[in-house]
Amino acid sequence: MIGVYDFCGHYDWTFEWLRQTGGEELLRQYWDEAISQDSQRHAAALILPRGIAGMVEYWGHTLEHEAAGYYCTTTDAVYRIDMHECPSKGFLMRNALHQYHDYCDHCLGWIGPLLRRAGFVVDHQHNHAGRCWWEIRRADDPTPPSAPGSLAGEHDVRLLPDWNQPGPMDTYRRANDPDDKSA
Amino acid sequence: MSTESSPLPYRDTKPVGAADFYFAVNATFRFLWQRFGAEGLRRYWTDLGTQYYAPVAESWKQGGLPAIAAYWRAFFAAEPGAEVQVHESGEAVVVEVAVCPAIKHLRAHQREIVPCFCQHCYFLNEAIAAPAGFTARVTGGNGSCRQTFRARDGEVPPQDLNDIRAAT
Repeated sequence: MIGVYDFCGHYDWTFEWLRQTGGEELLRQYWDEAISQDSQRHAAALILPRGIAGMVEYWGHTLEHEAAGYYCTTTDAVYRIDMHECPSKGFLMRNALHQYHDYCDHCLGWIGPLLRRAGFVVDHQHNHAGRCWWEIRRADDPTPPSAPGSLAGEHDVRLLPDWNQPGPMDTYRRANDPDDKSA
Repeated sequence: MSTESSPLPYRDTKPVGAADFYFAVNATFRFLWQRFGAEGLRRYWTDLGTQYYAPVAESWKQGGLPAIAAYWRAFFAAEPGAEVQVHESGEAVVVEVAVCPAIKHLRAHQREIVPCFCQHCYFLNEAIAAPAGFTARVTGGNGSCRQTFRARDGEVPPQDLNDIRAAT
């Protein structure tokens, strides 16, 4: 049986299987059609009609369920997540599993299309070491991403001494697609 | 599950997995079925068994039937909502699944289950068992089933996929 105790391991393996089978295009279709529109339809049911209030409810449940180390900041205009210990990437790192070239892309791969349908865009960075931050605003709100500490205070993951890792930092501005990487 | 002596190849900090991930497993099967049909979905299951689960096959090859029994006891202890008994004899390991955690969770959340969902246990198990010198058979399904593991050199009839019920 395919289990869920090690879900992130075979999820990562599946990304690479899909890439080898049908290229990056097939993988992006998978993230949108299978994950965003099918598996995570409960997220859409909350976020599409309720916007930020739906995000608070969805991620509040999901991140607790997955035992994540995180902090959320909510205003009327923005929903921010500071992920201090990503349970998903953390599982891969602890078990030395690495199949697809950028596992972290899967989050924007399914969340991006969902937020596009809901009328939101994402500012985001991930450091490939289990830490990232997200700021989600309405697509017609031109506000730039916050300066470190100005929105989440001491919980801002960018203030951690090991936020900057030796490898690349992936950066997204007003994005809805994993290929919207600007750095 | 997270001890050094665990029969599971991978470790997590949580005692059991997050049940909502069964949604993604089911959705992945549906996506592959729609794109590639039964043949493509079976290739995915077989590749997953031979590649990702290669450490399990190696463990079974080294430890034989006791390792197979230990694996399934630890595996189902980490699956949320599973009710399973594992019986071991000198000839076989029989995994009696009284409550399949995946089918239970998908039903509880009104998810449309891919009809061939339960076939994945045969194709995956066989892909893990074969290189270890064992063969797997599955009967039942749709919420409860029996999975049997025997040595490949025994006289075991081929798996009849009609013995695996469609999931609803």
